Amino acid sequence: MNTGPALVSILRQGSYLIASIHTALDDSQLMRLQKDLVDQIGRHRSRGVIIDVAALDVLDSFGSRTLRDIAEMARLRGALTVIVGIQPDVAFAMVSLGMGTGSVHAALDLEEGLEYLDRQVRARQPGSSVVVPR
Amino acid sequence: MVRRIVRSRVADHPAADDLVQETLLRVLGAMGRVEPGMLEPYAIVTARHVIASMWKDQDRHRRNQHRMADLRLPDAPDADLLLGEDRAAVAQALQHLSDRERDTLLAHELHGQDTRSLADELGSTAGAVAAQLNRTRARLRVEYLLAVERTEPFSDRCRPVLIALSSGDRRRQRDVDAGRHLLECELCARLSQPLLGRGQQHDDEVRIPIRADADVVLARQGVRELAARAGFSPTDLTIIATAVSEISRNIVRFATAGEIVVELLEEPRPGVRIVARDTGPGIPDVEQALTDGFSTYRGLGLGLPGARRLMDEFAVVSEVDRGTTVTMTKWRQEGSP
Ligand SMILES: [Zn+2]
Repeated sequence: MNTGPALVSILRQGSYLIASIHTALDDSQLMRLQKDLVDQIGRHRSRGVIIDVAALDVLDSFGSRTLRDIAEMARLRGALTVIVGIQPDVAFAMVSLGMGTGSVHAALDLEEGLEYLDRQVRARQPGSSVVVPR
Repeated sequence: MVRRIVRSRVADHPAADDLVQETLLRVLGAMGRVEPGMLEPYAIVTARHVIASMWKDQDRHRRNQHRMADLRLPDAPDADLLLGEDRAAVAQALQHLSDRERDTLLAHELHGQDTRSLADELGSTAGAVAAQLNRTRARLRVEYLLAVERTEPFSDRCRPVLIALSSGDRRRQRDVDAGRHLLECELCARLSQPLLGRGQQHDDEVRIPIRADADVVLARQGVRELAARAGFSPTDLTIIATAVSEISRNIVRFATAGEIVVELLEEPRPGVRIVARDTGPGIPDVEQALTDGFSTYRGLGLGLPGARRLMDEFAVVSEVDRGTTVTMTKWRQEGSP
């Protein structure tokens, strides 16, 4: 385990993983998050992933791209990803920068993120690895 | 002997050396900072002692003169705090001044002669004398540090840069491109530490070295804190921090060393200027780097187009094999507090 407070915590809730980012992350920490999440999706056969980014100070080109990459890798492993907690100022800066989370679904908060996953995952065949089209 | 006095209070040797060094820097620092007549008695005593021993060394046959030691205040046991080698360094530094510079400085600092009366003697104005004194002190600090390091400047650019830093003259620092020189010159980078550390750091400027990923986060935080003081809205703070993140990453990825300097602006209206400079490979075609599809682009100049979109003014100067300097400005929106 790391010394000091955790930068990110990944909790398992049923067939979902909930990753909460607790502070501003640098690029290598974002890459670490990506690796940890993809590992855990495989290990737990998760169907959905929620990433709470409310504590991120910025979502610049690298941050945005990493979230998109995570979502794509998750999708290839049969899990849906939702980003929650993008702050209004961060969203504004992302748009000004010309970046976005692209096709990755975003929800206002954890509750809405869970609702979204419930709706989407229920629509799938249980146990099927077929990805639901967006 | 003095070292022993210090060491008896601070058990270990390096700490004692630090104390001695700090005392000396404090004296030199006070010379630049304190108004005539307000020099701490301690500094005066120490400086007198330096002069006295210099006199003794240089002019042994003038025996009666070395009674200048009498000037030492009896209740100042720390007056001897300057060690032999530091004394020699100060003496050597004083040698680099012209006679006129040295005489004026000593008349002012040691004998308390004010700038007006000095101006009368020199056929100058009080303002000009004060300015000259500042330049002299700035040079003295630089020459002292060079003497302590027992080194000569690595290039012709070193002295002008160090003196500009020592005098705290930011326009001059820009003119001689001090920031870039400090990235390129290991000697000046080291010597700039005590020069910048003596209270000349402006509180409307922060400087963040960029070497690793974690520094990018520090740069974002640094710019946000400073710009917040200029009254930028939270949205603008995030936009500025995002731009800084983009250009800092460019430094981490492609350059061995770099820095972000953030400066608050007052004129023509409140704003923040960010200079990012690195000693990287340089960008052969800046126009290309600025126009490339930046969301997929991962080469040299990565992050430039994005940062440009976020800021009001944006300029890139790049030289192959030398490095890149990005200067970008955000003005505070009208109507903000
Ligand atoms: Zn130099």
